[in-house]
Amino acid sequence: MSVVSLLHSKASIPEELQKNEACLPLYYEHLNTPPKVSVCGLDFFYGEHQALLDNDIDIAPNKVTAIIGPSGCGKSTHLRVYNRIFELYKDQKAKGKVLLDGENIFSSKINILELRRKVGMIFQKPTPFPMSVFENVAYGLKLHYAISKSEISIKVEEALRRAALWDEVKDMLSKPGMALSGGQQQRLCVARAIAVEPEVLLMDEPTSAIDPVATLKIEELIDSLKQKFTIVIVTHNMQQAARISDFTAFFYKGKIVEFDKTKKIFTNPAQKKTEEYITGRFG
Amino acid sequence: MKTNTNMKRRELTDLFIKIISSIAASIGIFFLLWIIFTVFQRGFAALSIDFFTKLPTPPGMEGGGLVNAITGTAIITFLATIIGVPVGVLTGIYLSEYGSHSRFGSLVRLVVNLTIGIPSIVVGLFVFALVVIPTGNFSAWAGALAQSIIMLPVIARTSEDMLNLVPNELREASLAIGMPKWRSIVSIIFRYSKSGIMTGVLLAVARISGETAPLLFTVMNSQFWMKSLNEPIANLTVTIYNYAMSPFDDWRQFAWGASLLITMVVLFLNIIARMILKEAK
Repeated sequence: MSVVSLLHSKASIPEELQKNEACLPLYYEHLNTPPKVSVCGLDFFYGEHQALLDNDIDIAPNKVTAIIGPSGCGKSTHLRVYNRIFELYKDQKAKGKVLLDGENIFSSKINILELRRKVGMIFQKPTPFPMSVFENVAYGLKLHYAISKSEISIKVEEALRRAALWDEVKDMLSKPGMALSGGQQQRLCVARAIAVEPEVLLMDEPTSAIDPVATLKIEELIDSLKQKFTIVIVTHNMQQAARISDFTAFFYKGKIVEFDKTKKIFTNPAQKKTEEYITGRFG
Repeated sequence: MKTNTNMKRRELTDLFIKIISSIAASIGIFFLLWIIFTVFQRGFAALSIDFFTKLPTPPGMEGGGLVNAITGTAIITFLATIIGVPVGVLTGIYLSEYGSHSRFGSLVRLVVNLTIGIPSIVVGLFVFALVVIPTGNFSAWAGALAQSIIMLPVIARTSEDMLNLVPNELREASLAIGMPKWRSIVSIIFRYSKSGIMTGVLLAVARISGETAPLLFTVMNSQFWMKSLNEPIANLTVTIYNYAMSPFDDWRQFAWGASLLITMVVLFLNIIARMILKEAK
């Protein structure tokens, strides 16, 4: 059964789960844990222009959720709400609810710095800080935790290992992060993001600026990371979504046209628009 | 289809533009080299150990040097730098990171751009009215203040330009890891553009170290060692101004020596600035 037909029909959600305010009944057909992130009625505005319309989606914990859709459909815009990074720009406004473990991230009780520790982000272009490889990973650690130097070293190594980068950089930890190759830089950014022990990782087209071999490495990395983190990835590469994600949301003109298990979306989509997109008829 | 009817004319036009622009460039270079050559030729004879170590002598008396003016210029430039650099860099940070789209930001930017164009003698006159008249005396402080006012907009402007070159992704990435904005500015954004800002600062220092007009009626000049920063002190540029127009040969000689010294310092600062920029690339 498709999600769209069930949107807003919360009556079908078991009462004990309604407390978690999950938006989509679909979610409970597959999992019996509450969603990690739950987005309800999200609208987004760039000044006067509305870029997202009434987005509802639930993000399952320890799964990879892919967001696909043609350019300009609002994929990145949607993702950039989860850590409130859009607030950097004064003309951008979000309306609606985004619940992280049941708590609205727009609530005044939320500490934005702590929210961003919990919800890490990887960008399209690798963004190493202008400092050494080691410092790049250690920076966030020192920022959020009061820990000793030796503990930092341990954590940095752990993060670099988990980002599948340790073997390549262990002899050049004091070199500038910008001296690494593009693919390595991107894995450095992953290491930096996971070092602070986030719960959710947002990836905004993380492989679109790097070569195919490096892309493969990142994809393998994503697969291993989902044991520990909840991952939401925006991609315009449908094969990538099919390869690495468990759930897929198809965005079109700011709306979530269809959201379902990845397998279902790619083999038997409920919406005509989705089918047209995945078969390459537009986009 | 005919294609090459105009080829001949195009080639000639190309050649013509190439020739006149080369001539224009040569004229510019020619005069610059002439100035540097003359300064070296006339000034070199004045440079001696005494020049750097002795106080000036009365006209007609052999020997002496400009040690008081050399230290004076160094002190004024240093004071101006410690006033002008922090304020200038912070203004640049405000313009780029906080007030880029605000009304106040636009106003500050406008004022900065206007002050870059203010003639330095006007700044000197301003400080004369603001500091020298109320306090009743010329002073090193007044001169340093005038110099820092000249520096400030130059540094603010270059800092803003350099900070604007920082990729926005880096701003987002540093905030996305949970950094407060001030920290992202200090340890990521500023660090990224450090060498560009340093270059701007050095060029501003080079510029003020050769300014005369702001010092004429703020620090004036002196023939003696300074006793405090609250009095007129000797400095190279006003010394050049006074000595060059004097009827005494040895004073004129010193003026050339002082010119050479300043030219070399400015040249040196420019070279350092270029090296820093190259290093960063």
